Amino acid sequence: MKRARAKQRVQADAVLTEIVRNGVIAVTEEMKTNLMRTAYNMIVYEALDFTVGLYTAEGETVSIGLGLPSFIRGMSETIKAKLAHFGKDGLEPGDILVTNDAYTTGSHLYHFTFSLPIFHEAKLSGFACCMAHWTDVGGVLGGVTTDIYSEGLQIPIVKYAKAGVVNQDLVDIIRMNVRIPERAMGDLRAQITAVKTGERRFLELLERYGRENVLAAIANIMDQSEAAARARTRTIPDGTYEAESFMDDDGVEIGKPVPIKVRVVKKGGEMTIDLSQMSPQVRGFYNSGATTGYSCAQVAYKCLTSPTDYPINEGSFRPLKVILAPGTVVSAVKPAAMRWWMTFPMTVVDTVFRALEKAIPDRTIAAHHADLLVCLINGISPKDGRLFLAGIGPSGGGFGAKMNEDGMSATVCLNDGDTHNHPVEQMEAKYPMLFERHALREDSGGAGRYRGGLGTEQVVQALSAININVQVDRVHCAPWGLAGGHSGAGNQVCLRSGGMEITDLPNAKVLMKRLNPGDAITLRAGGGGGFGPPEERDPEKVAHDVRQGYVSRDIAAEIYRVALDAAGNVDRKGTELLRRQ
Amino acid sequence: MKKLRPAGRRSSQESSPRTRLAADIGGTFTDIVAFDEKTGRLLLGKALSTPARLVDGISNGMEKAGARFADAEAFLHGSTIAINTMLERTGARTALLTTEGFRDVYEIGRINRPDAYNLYFRKHVPLIERALRFEVRERITAEGEIHVALDEASVHAACDRLEAEGVEAVAIMFLHSYVNPAHETRTREIVHERLPRAFVTASHELSREYREFERCSTVVANAYIGPVVSRYVRGIDERLKQSGFEGSFLLVQSTGGLYESHQARTQCVRMLESGPAAGVIGAQALCRELDLADAVAFDMGGTTAKAGVIYRGEALTTGAALIGGYAQALPVQIPMMDIFEVGTGGGSIAAVDSSGALKVGPKSAGANPGPACYALGGREATVTDANLVLGRLAAERFLSGEMKLDARAAERAIREHIAGPLGLDIIHASDGILRIAATAMSYAVKAVSTERGLDAAAFTLIAYGGAGPLHASAIAREIGMKRVIVPRAPGHFCAFGMLFSDLRYDFVRTWFTRLVDASFDAIEKVYEPLIAEGRKALAESGVRAEGVVAARSADMRYIGQEHPVSVDLPDVVFRRRNRDALKRRFDEEHLRRYGTCAPEENAEIVSLRASVTGAMKKPSLERIARGGRAPLSSAHRGKRKVYFAEPGRSLATQSYARESLRAGNRIEGPALVEEHASTTVVLPGDRLEVDAFGNLVIEVGRRTK
Repeated sequence: MKRARAKQRVQADAVLTEIVRNGVIAVTEEMKTNLMRTAYNMIVYEALDFTVGLYTAEGETVSIGLGLPSFIRGMSETIKAKLAHFGKDGLEPGDILVTNDAYTTGSHLYHFTFSLPIFHEAKLSGFACCMAHWTDVGGVLGGVTTDIYSEGLQIPIVKYAKAGVVNQDLVDIIRMNVRIPERAMGDLRAQITAVKTGERRFLELLERYGRENVLAAIANIMDQSEAAARARTRTIPDGTYEAESFMDDDGVEIGKPVPIKVRVVKKGGEMTIDLSQMSPQVRGFYNSGATTGYSCAQVAYKCLTSPTDYPINEGSFRPLKVILAPGTVVSAVKPAAMRWWMTFPMTVVDTVFRALEKAIPDRTIAAHHADLLVCLINGISPKDGRLFLAGIGPSGGGFGAKMNEDGMSATVCLNDGDTHNHPVEQMEAKYPMLFERHALREDSGGAGRYRGGLGTEQVVQALSAININVQVDRVHCAPWGLAGGHSGAGNQVCLRSGGMEITDLPNAKVLMKRLNPGDAITLRAGGGGGFGPPEERDPEKVAHDVRQGYVSRDIAAEIYRVALDAAGNVDRKGTELLRRQ
Repeated sequence: MKKLRPAGRRSSQESSPRTRLAADIGGTFTDIVAFDEKTGRLLLGKALSTPARLVDGISNGMEKAGARFADAEAFLHGSTIAINTMLERTGARTALLTTEGFRDVYEIGRINRPDAYNLYFRKHVPLIERALRFEVRERITAEGEIHVALDEASVHAACDRLEAEGVEAVAIMFLHSYVNPAHETRTREIVHERLPRAFVTASHELSREYREFERCSTVVANAYIGPVVSRYVRGIDERLKQSGFEGSFLLVQSTGGLYESHQARTQCVRMLESGPAAGVIGAQALCRELDLADAVAFDMGGTTAKAGVIYRGEALTTGAALIGGYAQALPVQIPMMDIFEVGTGGGSIAAVDSSGALKVGPKSAGANPGPACYALGGREATVTDANLVLGRLAAERFLSGEMKLDARAAERAIREHIAGPLGLDIIHASDGILRIAATAMSYAVKAVSTERGLDAAAFTLIAYGGAGPLHASAIAREIGMKRVIVPRAPGHFCAFGMLFSDLRYDFVRTWFTRLVDASFDAIEKVYEPLIAEGRKALAESGVRAEGVVAARSADMRYIGQEHPVSVDLPDVVFRRRNRDALKRRFDEEHLRRYGTCAPEENAEIVSLRASVTGAMKKPSLERIARGGRAPLSSAHRGKRKVYFAEPGRSLATQSYARESLRAGNRIEGPALVEEHASTTVVLPGDRLEVDAFGNLVIEVGRRTK
């Protein structure tokens, strides 16, 4: 009898664990739905620059609703900082905590992060949390910043609401410091809705299945995720793996590369990602905080060990150790400028994939364009004479090839996930601009046994005077190939100004430039790196690429060493000859 | 173009055909429902679909139903031919003509990566390869002005290539053609002259909405499936004529509305989701008859469950849908029934993964090899196997005994794959599978209602499809719904729904205008030609409608927002020309859907929508014989042990033959009601009553934990 009962408990666990797994995912999906549907700014509901999640009472991740993939660590660290600040005893039902401190979230001041401690029968049982990117938080418009104070309003860790009473002084301070207060308040309300949704739905789960059972199921989910990640880690050969790359510059010291160095130590079921040798923090606004250093490592580790394991939870990262040194570009300290925090980390993640080239060639990936490829625009609308803020991009670039697959073309960079671009028809209807072209870049995919994805090109003409700001990197450090594969084309920005084509900019950063009617900007997103020697690519695949115009005949002959006849079919003999040379 | 004889034109003699036939071709079965207006009787037939000659499946089903084409005044049809041609990529060799500089828009798409950490992520694969996408020199601006005139020589140059490539279908899509279609129209003429045998279609004929990728994907899909679908429709048309049919041949669109067969042959993409949409129309008709305002129409089959929402008596529609799964989807930007899909069906496979987690679906054993208990070679444990092990299905009476289920095989599969690895007995393992499936489906139903700002708990669940009635009560409990309705013949419900469809034509015009600048004269100027076009299409259908209704709505948003919401414009608001009332309706709709609104902020119109409906005669629901409170003893099929999670043990459970139940019969759970293609599970605590029309109405018991 006793035995039977024991058995029954185990059973309840397996089934309940799965029910709770689906349950917490449903909670964070609903938080996401409510945020997206009520948010005011396009960055939230179009670019999905937000993250919502459920956390344990200690601030460990239970489930994340994406959102912004590179913010995978941001809220967990922020909750832990808030817990450290107030202490568990300093929290009570009805509290909502907030901060946008860049050195806590690890990102920029736009990321307002709200956390709601969830109390069940007077016991702290978890947190619902929501970060969303606000349209404006004050600070200078355009140009490059060199310290945090020029980037806008900073809110330390405080209570937005205490025991259900909103801190109106705080709200008034925020309203005074942002350019479009109605939008900011709209986003704030959406975030409050999201965390309250999380609270309500999580409490329903606790009520339905019992607090102890649900918490036990969550512990189970984490253990299962840990076991899966650990098992996958074990299959990576033990060893120390290193790689480096660089960023073009920091936007201040033009032409001075910023070194990116990573070291991966794999031993048994654990992996250490060491980012302590990264460049010291830079003067321009490309720095990010230690939280983002952790995120870089977690993103790389998740891609390699549990890419489709949901919910995204702490268990998956238990086998991962991260080493950071204070004051680097991914662990910057005050008063480092952080506004463009998201660019460098993508290259850091790609560099981790590069380090593992020899260890797991079958699971890693060549480099991608690693930039959002955005052009920010402001100007006076000829329609109504009012200031408008707009952006071209994000633009799709090429992803790297893998050992057994070509890279994806025209896809948003690693920083973003389910982010959509803007229809040309919508942009032209809203703003005084005319798109001359939106196309794939031929020959931009790195050559290889498997080819890198193609980047894209957009040429946009100003129809009235506008000001542009472009902060793109990775012109000079083109997306590298692996295992003998070639690099893809780097990112590139060109201008047409007063009828002159300007194609020799020192980098892809164009700050505070005015375009007059007829002037144009060209944004070119890089292609992905190739995998394996190009002369080993199946000639039929090369012929296909040439027929589709992905690859030119010249490159087919010179790099892939494939001869094609006049009709575009593979010339077997000619190819053999070329490949033997 | 061929005209069919209008329905009802004949004089009403004794012999005048008064039957309406509906045929729903699904992946596995072809369902036929025939409604005799004179007697008010419904005849049902079910036959295996015959993939090679789908028309034969219809004839076989007709035979089983005992219905004849010659007796029919209308033949209504929904089919998976359009969606299958698209998903299985068996369409025509198709080319695209598009604006210079933009031939890659269709391949670039929206650049999103939904599976953010998956390095093996794949985006959509275009239906037209790059080599067959040609650019034409022309450009129209967002205001509809001609920036670069159409260079006809470049169209002819492209046609030279199309001829050389031997394409069968051509899609035309130019930027901003939704404002000014002149260049598309002219190009269409040239292509038609040059390639008279090709299927030619231009984007503005299908969608007058902005978003170049989505409109492009829509017109390409239409071209790609066009030759196959129009051949299919023509094939049925010919077969109907040979069989002496002289009525109207109408097809079900994805909105659930009908259109005439010659219209279906050019606007093929409008029938992608015709079967599932008809099911929702059936549920809506049921709601009307039973005086229900809000319901979820829940259709669960072998591989998936689908649901649509009926709110205040109206089936919710959407302006676009993604075809083929979210990550790799090809969008289609036309009005459709808003149907969502969950990857849980009777064939969903349960498995324990390497970390010890028990998962149910989304992998499915489908119909072949099917669940282990089908004994057709399937070895994995499925939801159907769990139902059998728990006693919810009768092994010897599945499909009225046409197919015997192998209970041992089901037990073996559950023991080997679930119970063994988890250290459970097979009963608890099976119960676990069903609980996981029910909660997963309940989360999906809740999610879809939350997204629309609705609370599913206040809705009635109308369950159909082979597996819907088995799980409906458990799902309803999870959501907190109080009532479940299982209609008669739940396995034929989509075909049944077609009998309640109306002729319907939908139109949309993108028209970016700030509300403060919008005059009603200007709004009327946009609507007028749309509604006129709808009336014309209705007249051309050759079907005499009983009444014509034009409904207007507007997609609106606050200035600065991206996503618009659709706001109905009832005649009263429209006739009073009251802009403030329009704004108030928008604020209210925004509040309902999103929980917030900003009455102080300005709004803008994005698109105007009109639908013109020609009402068809509807069958009235057949009443069944009345009985007492207790079912007749002839309805009893004996008791068997069935396990229920609440109270956590097996109970002796009475099962009933549905065809022997009478109106007014009451049954307390636990109980089972069995019929040809379905079994309804009545849980302990539930109370079932058979209504006057033979529907099973279940008052759902409360969850005890």
